[in-house]
Amino acid sequence: MTASVVTEIDADRASSASPAPGPADRGEALVRMVDIRRSFGATVALDGVELSLRSGEIHALLGANGAGKTTLMRILAGLDRPDEGTVEVFGRTITRFDPGALRRAGVALVQQHFTLVPTLTASENLVLARPTGQVLPSRRQARERLDELAGRFGLAVRDDVPAGRLSVGEQQRLELLRALDADARILLLDEPTAVLTDQEAEVLLRVCRGLAAEGRALAIITHRLAEVFAGCDRVTVLREGREVVSDAPVVERSRADLATAMIGAESSGTFTDRAERGGPSGGPRLRVEGLRLGRLAGIDLEVGSGEVLGIAGVDGNGQAELEAALSGRSVPEAGGVLLDGAPVPVGDPRARRAKGFAYVPSDRYQWGLIRAMDLADNLELGRVPVWRARRKVRRERARPDLAAWDVRTAGPQARAGTLSGGNAQKLVLARELDGEPHAVLACYPTRGLDPGASDAVSRRLVGCAEAGAAVLWIGAELDELLAVADRIVVLAAGRVTGTFLPPYDRERIGLAMAGETVAGETVAGGGEDAP
Amino acid sequence: MTATTVPALTRPNRNPLAAVVARAGADGLVTAVLVPVGAVLAALLLGAVLIVSEGENPLAVYWEVVRGVLWEPRGLSNTATAATPLVLIGLGYAVAYRAKVFTIGGEGQYLVGAVASTAWVTAAGVRDLPGPVLVVTGIVVAVVAGALWSGLAGWLGVRFGASIVISSLMLVYVADALLQWAVRDGIRDPESFIPASRQIGDATLPTIPRLDTHLGFLLAVVLVPVVGVLVARHRGGYRIDALGFNRSALDANEVDSRRIVLLVMLVAGAFAGLAGFTETAGVNGRLGAEASVGFGWQAIIVALVGRLQPVGVLLAGLGLAGLTIGFEVSQRTYDLPSSLVGVITALIVVFVVVGDALAVRGREGR
Amino acid sequence: MDVLLQFSTLEAAIRLAIPVALAALGALVCERAGVLNLGLEGQMLAGALAGYAAAEATGSPWLGLLAGIVVGLLTGLVLSVLLVTLRANQVVTGIAFTLLAVSATTYVFQLQYSIGGVTPRVNRIGMWSLAVLVLVAVAVLWFVLERTRFGLTVTAVGEAPAAVDALGYRVDRLRWSALAICGGLAGLGGAALVCGPLGLFIEGVTGGRGWVALALVVFAGWRPFPAVAGALLFGLSDAVQLRLQGTATSIPYEVFLALPYVVTLVALVLRARSSRAPAALGVPYVRGAL
Repeated sequence: MTASVVTEIDADRASSASPAPGPADRGEALVRMVDIRRSFGATVALDGVELSLRSGEIHALLGANGAGKTTLMRILAGLDRPDEGTVEVFGRTITRFDPGALRRAGVALVQQHFTLVPTLTASENLVLARPTGQVLPSRRQARERLDELAGRFGLAVRDDVPAGRLSVGEQQRLELLRALDADARILLLDEPTAVLTDQEAEVLLRVCRGLAAEGRALAIITHRLAEVFAGCDRVTVLREGREVVSDAPVVERSRADLATAMIGAESSGTFTDRAERGGPSGGPRLRVEGLRLGRLAGIDLEVGSGEVLGIAGVDGNGQAELEAALSGRSVPEAGGVLLDGAPVPVGDPRARRAKGFAYVPSDRYQWGLIRAMDLADNLELGRVPVWRARRKVRRERARPDLAAWDVRTAGPQARAGTLSGGNAQKLVLARELDGEPHAVLACYPTRGLDPGASDAVSRRLVGCAEAGAAVLWIGAELDELLAVADRIVVLAAGRVTGTFLPPYDRERIGLAMAGETVAGETVAGGGEDAP
Repeated sequence: MTATTVPALTRPNRNPLAAVVARAGADGLVTAVLVPVGAVLAALLLGAVLIVSEGENPLAVYWEVVRGVLWEPRGLSNTATAATPLVLIGLGYAVAYRAKVFTIGGEGQYLVGAVASTAWVTAAGVRDLPGPVLVVTGIVVAVVAGALWSGLAGWLGVRFGASIVISSLMLVYVADALLQWAVRDGIRDPESFIPASRQIGDATLPTIPRLDTHLGFLLAVVLVPVVGVLVARHRGGYRIDALGFNRSALDANEVDSRRIVLLVMLVAGAFAGLAGFTETAGVNGRLGAEASVGFGWQAIIVALVGRLQPVGVLLAGLGLAGLTIGFEVSQRTYDLPSSLVGVITALIVVFVVVGDALAVRGREGR
Repeated sequence: MDVLLQFSTLEAAIRLAIPVALAALGALVCERAGVLNLGLEGQMLAGALAGYAAAEATGSPWLGLLAGIVVGLLTGLVLSVLLVTLRANQVVTGIAFTLLAVSATTYVFQLQYSIGGVTPRVNRIGMWSLAVLVLVAVAVLWFVLERTRFGLTVTAVGEAPAAVDALGYRVDRLRWSALAICGGLAGLGGAALVCGPLGLFIEGVTGGRGWVALALVVFAGWRPFPAVAGALLFGLSDAVQLRLQGTATSIPYEVFLALPYVVTLVALVLRARSSRAPAALGVPYVRGAL
């Protein structure tokens, strides 16, 4: 079965061996996915989705978090299988969903989490991905191949360090090179620009256009509308596993049109009552002074009582280090954090909590909860008394807390691992925001939540500020920060590149996020990944 | 989409049977009871095959094992005595394994505890003290020595990142060398022809009347609920479990996890060291070159089959000891290799491991 | 210290290093693939008994080595079912397997030999032949790991199994192969112990050499040649210990009894912080569990 597919594809390849396929190739459907359904337990990820990818075109796959975009792409790459529906690649129906078989059929997926082996160099990663003989080519041959590909497609990658030490942009280029090396004619890119600056994203889109022009079919997952209009030919919008816009030419759609399709006709529920609040009510409570850790190159911040300070920026520009240092998980190389004038203890989370500093971690399952323990036990994490009550009593005591925070569950005896994302986050908040904290570090607090839960979480955090706490909110979605923050600080390459007050100027914030210095701040070096 | 339609905090199911299952958790029931019981049965079945291949009747042999424990004179008291070191060391392992700190150095800590406490109670000047003082101080010395020996492996782990599995094991061989030196030279009885310490004299553990075993057994039985309460109700127990489940969450919210790693290593060593003293002072009466008889290894089986629960450890320890004593009795009648019981107990733990893996796979598959 | 320089000491060092070196090479392949194999000591024991039985039955110690490899391979397959297919806890499973191997080899040995009385010695293979065998093994292994696709994928699977899976390689199959190779080498190491200069099987003959081999892999930074060098270091301290047991020195000979293990421990501590450890070591791979 597979053998025949490969022969078929090879024949196809031979016919298009010339570097620039003729215009006849353009528009030919290379992929046809029909009525794809996929469920994970009770969750329906895909509910009858169709997708066609045509040679010479870039197809944008649009949707909010959890819409099913990634599942669809994983199925097409053979990393997952549909419960129902058919997938045709080059006119052949796929029966075996196996990454190897689909790779050989010419499908390549560049995932959000890169699939490079971090300890191998770029050329070694290239060799790993190319099935050739049992004995490896020499290092020199491998490097020549890398240089040749890099030159041909304009995607420069260093080969003198392990892949894990390359910048995010370089790693992405290497992923693309691997796909192109395998002569993939169907390229799937899962949120390729999420980790890039605007300039890098622009370059990437240009490269993609070139690849499409050579007769390939591309699909790009994104949630940025600008990109859809900047370089895509067609667009499909998914919402909660269903297709709301299918296979529409981009030119026929407006931004407002697609945005509504993405978030639904009803109000998105975005929390927008910042204007109605009084704003910062008191003096500075939380001070960050000359903080240096890893990528974080010495930053100063100040959050006042009653203020929500939003930290904006593209992921990976120092947010993780800021979180680690502020929460006391990592010892800063220099500088420190002061709460009401006293240093926040490092490496002693109970002391941090005792000082009234709450921490809502970015990864709630890693740092916030213990999945294998029940909800009552999770509510005690970080404040366990020396002698604990009997289990039954503990669980009874947990009930009102869970009800007050609207944690929907079978009861306090349920394990935290059984909670949905939103309920898990509410559980973390129930514990962290208990007892009127003086300061709150909230890292991506609404990540992965549905609009309802996201709204509830936002309200609770803003409520803390209204009660006088200093809230430092590290966010990924700019729109969300614009709605909740009293002030926004932009991080780029580990530095503060701009501070903004309402009414916010989106464009200038965007520039700051791209590493441009805004509002008089100086920046040395700029983007870490200058070509 | 993620919001389930289940109303908040629904009451548990009213059906009594369903409620029982729900309370224990169907998965908990499988891993706590079905897996170990099934493993024991499977191992006995395979053991029966081995017995048949030796030309004996397995039912008769197993009956003799049961009879040897229950009705043979001293069968029960011998079982209690044999279970004592297994339960003690097993309790320590159980605490460490709950935290997913996999030490396997119990044998070494046992030896160091035995050497240190014997050295203390047979030392000139000390050995003339009254018996109760010797017993109490002997216990303290053994506990401290075992804890330090184990703590060394823990410290190498948290300070240098050395694998605790391997470092705790290397220290077993070092401890054995220490024992050899001690009985040959260090604390040797000058009167003795073979390498051995002095008789421990007044430090001998008193015999419990009626039970006909030494005080160590009572100590082990008392320590079971003590550990049980500490694990279930003390902050330390919470932290140990949290370390086992999610180390980063413990670090981010409660306490530096390295301190808990050290703690469980100290606890594991303390129990093993204590067993070293109770075995010397309760059974052997002196320390000889052959003191290493493998309690430290068998206790791993006891901890795992006992599901890392104190009560489970007690049951598993008694069961393993009963199997050993019973097979010794049955060997008088039937011609079987002495190592057969070792094979059966090792099979039990292998089947427990397999059963756990299958239970997890089954859960994922649903 | 002149005892160190005597030729006979060095010879003994090489002799004692051979089984450890072979087992360490096996463990190295396994750990490169991300599987922590604490059953190594048990696999060595199984190989040792098989080697002894085959050599005793056929009179040929070379057939003994072969039997060691075969039985080692079989134990490797058993472990792959548990560790790779069933994804059992690698630490606990390895320990359980070793406990079983200790009892089972004792049982089989008691049945076959002890009850009859004195156990016969088998014909022995000269030390230098075995040394050459080790050199061949390390050279082949180096080539396989560094210069072949199989080696590259094995290394990659220990670092980033999800990445290798996404490229269409079979993670489970690679780990199965690594465990099989490991079992074969550990079995060979055990067989080399009894069919080599010793010529005898006794209960627990490996005496913890499997565990030492595991420590040496860390010491060697997961590279073949340093692993053999580490085994030599272990062999040397073992040889010195054996030499000094017979002679009267001011230092108690038990110090040397402990020496090989202390040396291993120190080596373990010195190298533990090196970041060469395969990132996925000890973690079963489940597709889609990121």
